[in-house]
Amino acid sequence: MAVRTIEVRERVMARNNEIAADVRSRLGGHGVTAINLVSSPGSGKTTLLERTLGALGEEMDIAVITGDVQTQNDADRLSAHTPRVVSAVVTNGACHLDALQVFTAIDEIDLDRTQLLFIENVGNLVCPASWDLGEKEMIVLFAVTEGEDKPLKYPKMFQNARRVVMTKIDLLPHVPFDMDRAVANALSINPELKVFRVSALTGQGLAQWFDFLRSSVLPVSTSG
Amino acid sequence: MGASLLASRTGGLVHEMSVAMEIGRIAEVKLGDAAPQLVTVAVDVGDSAGVEFSSLEFCLEAVFATPPFAGAKPHIMRCAGDVLRVAYLEIDDGRTDD
Repeated sequence: MAVRTIEVRERVMARNNEIAADVRSRLGGHGVTAINLVSSPGSGKTTLLERTLGALGEEMDIAVITGDVQTQNDADRLSAHTPRVVSAVVTNGACHLDALQVFTAIDEIDLDRTQLLFIENVGNLVCPASWDLGEKEMIVLFAVTEGEDKPLKYPKMFQNARRVVMTKIDLLPHVPFDMDRAVANALSINPELKVFRVSALTGQGLAQWFDFLRSSVLPVSTSG
Repeated sequence: MGASLLASRTGGLVHEMSVAMEIGRIAEVKLGDAAPQLVTVAVDVGDSAGVEFSSLEFCLEAVFATPPFAGAKPHIMRCAGDVLRVAYLEIDDGRTDD
């Protein structure tokens, strides 16, 4: 047989990135700030969103897309804290959201009535780092019940994020977690990271988180 | 499409499987309607690409074991950086060398 070579040189993520660019353009056109929340499973993404919706839901228009491998449990939990429809993406086994899923999900969202869009990604510190969803920024949650070396073990996630939210700090007296070392590890991977320290249970540190969100959204258009 | 068929069979995907399926889609588009016999799919994978090499190889073998790719072999070429791209395809289009 005669074997012939076809040069390809095409990036595997090219199509996802093109769709993500479309999502980013569409959201930008409507003045929507999109935040992609990523973390290990159980780091507190949904609980932080519950507190955020409860505190800011009447102050700004917030929409949410949740991504889960199975069940709509997170969407159901969040729906109790907002009159808005929470778009649930069940990935049926996939360990991350992709741009096409977000592109499809935002069709269900009234973007003219949205200032802030949270995309709660699938709990996973590896795979979501590689998939641009069209967000304005990725924020990684890091619970004090995890190891201080998580940023060293999963550097890409911390390299791609602009902010890290240290969660469950109410548990610090009960767990052998060295906060200074954890933050130092995160900053060694990405010196530009901004750090929040919060407890969604007690409310400690949430004021700074809420202020950041207020400063991130665009004012509501009054033109009509 | 082979990748879609595989997805329906597996019912669940890991990161490397998503990547392998996208590689299958790229190959299918590149081969076009003529659909020549694919012999090799060569992929550049950087050390920082966020991909586990053996898992990707396993997933590529699964994707390329199904029609229209049956029999094609993956060839992973490790490199530096976060490169993740289909480098080239080797095909047997049935023609003999001139």
